[in-house]
Amino acid sequence: MSKSRSNKVTAPSFTVPDNCAIYCKDVNFVYNPKTPFQKQALNNVSLTVNKGEFVAVVGHTGSGKTTFVQHLNALIRLQSGRMYVLGRDLGDKKLDLKALRGEVGMVFQYPEYQLFADTVLQDVSFGLKNFGVDKDKRVQLARDAIQLVGLDFDKVKDKSPFDMSGGEKRRVALAGVLAMNPSILVMDEPTAGLDPRGKSEILSLVAQLNRERNVTVVMVSHDMNEVYENADRVIVFADGAVAYDDTPRNLFRFETQIEEMNLEVPAMAQFANVLEANGITLPDNCKTVRQMYDAVTALRGKADV
Amino acid sequence: MFRDVTFGQYYPADSFVHKMDARIKLVLSLLFMVGIFFVVSYVGFAVITLYLLVVIALARVPLKSVLKSVKGIIFLLLLTAIINVFFTKGAGEPLLSWWKIEIYTEGLIFASKMLLRLTYLVIGSSILTLTTTPVDLTHAVESLLKPLRVIKFPVHEFALIMSLTLSFIPSLMEETDRIIRAQKARGADFDTGGLVKRAKAFVPILIPLLVGGFRRADELANAMNSRCYEGATKRTRMRKMRLGWRDAVASVIVVVLFAAIFTVYGMQSAWGGIIWLYY
Repeated sequence: MSKSRSNKVTAPSFTVPDNCAIYCKDVNFVYNPKTPFQKQALNNVSLTVNKGEFVAVVGHTGSGKTTFVQHLNALIRLQSGRMYVLGRDLGDKKLDLKALRGEVGMVFQYPEYQLFADTVLQDVSFGLKNFGVDKDKRVQLARDAIQLVGLDFDKVKDKSPFDMSGGEKRRVALAGVLAMNPSILVMDEPTAGLDPRGKSEILSLVAQLNRERNVTVVMVSHDMNEVYENADRVIVFADGAVAYDDTPRNLFRFETQIEEMNLEVPAMAQFANVLEANGITLPDNCKTVRQMYDAVTALRGKADV
Repeated sequence: MFRDVTFGQYYPADSFVHKMDARIKLVLSLLFMVGIFFVVSYVGFAVITLYLLVVIALARVPLKSVLKSVKGIIFLLLLTAIINVFFTKGAGEPLLSWWKIEIYTEGLIFASKMLLRLTYLVIGSSILTLTTTPVDLTHAVESLLKPLRVIKFPVHEFALIMSLTLSFIPSLMEETDRIIRAQKARGADFDTGGLVKRAKAFVPILIPLLVGGFRRADELANAMNSRCYEGATKRTRMRKMRLGWRDAVASVIVVVLFAAIFTVYGMQSAWGGIIWLYY
């Protein structure tokens, strides 16, 4: 650690490109250093995420992906290496944590377990209150966020979050993060434990935020189908290091390697791979069953397949 | 935030003490805890210090992690010592006197010994928990309480409650850690502000923690019911506890040591004044 500090002094000042939301170079992290519980969670991780990108982070349990994403809003402080998020140096000891956390919204696994307030409105405005937003503005932002996640503000605002269904609770928790209008949204398995409908609603909301508000999305997921459908790029973690960093289409061509890392190949990618093996090339946007159907029908119209 | 709490955390190692039977370790620890209150002279404390150092060396546990558990309650220890200094009245002239506060030599001696005693008490019990897994400890308690079955005391249920409590501590800590992170991510601040503000800052942690605790308890009860758990009836154990040569050796040494302590100090208090020779 002291080594990286001394490096920082002598190294020429570094500027992150403007369109770069997240920049990491040689990031290492060790849990419980110098004890029998010592564990190297991140091993020379280097990657960049551009502004407005939708990046999926995948990997087997214990591959370091959760440790990595928790670095992004300095919940875990940088041990060694360099990391810049929205131009802020995460290695800086005087880093303004509050400002960073206002810009990087983080949705944890099962976020509904963190609800605590008496009413939905209070819970959603908790973050805003912490960031010093005044009361009228708070209510307005909370209203926007609650409506954004598809709940009726007037109906739910005075309800206790504990009286709601699982899916509704998750949306309230999500609204609590979205209310702060983060420019990077980091999510750790946002759809875990939801039914298929709840899943697709959350995902289309996230995709909409990414598309319409240009929010940079970093999503940890175990569901390769949702990764394939939504992400612009997939980063595969294995044993604390970045194993692959590619577009979903390119990545899932490596079927054997993917399965060796205990990940599954999405159904549509398998289908496209089989077609490709038989000399049929599809456009890259065949990510859902619908798109695949349309592409295949179009091909049939053109040629004699 | 709660990462530093090591009290009760098992330290895996392959050592003499780790291999001992949990029941023997528990009984000897209790003997130690009682015995430490009989020690009144600095010579006695020197013997106890030596004893603890030998045990720690035999347990192959780093001194640092043993001392960490003392660090956790250092405030309590110092408070006790300070109160003892102020409230012990001595026979002669006060060493220091200011307003209503008088400090006597006896107070300082008494407080220093109380401090040593409590510190050693914590060290002794943390050696037990550092070298014994919670599961073994529960089995030891269950096994030792067996005679109480005669008076219809629910020994097995008691042990079960104890083991569940112990096994839920790490997961509750993890949960606490996660909730703290989640609230921090929403800009919560636990480290600045006055006492009231800080106390209020804990509400967003405590409520989800309580809700989660009830949820876990409920889930656990369902899981146990659906696997037809019905208490102690006809349950057998996968790992039987057996006494070995280590237990015999350790028992003999520790019992002899504390028998000596009981005789020396017990007789002294019977003879009254002789104690003062040691001051």
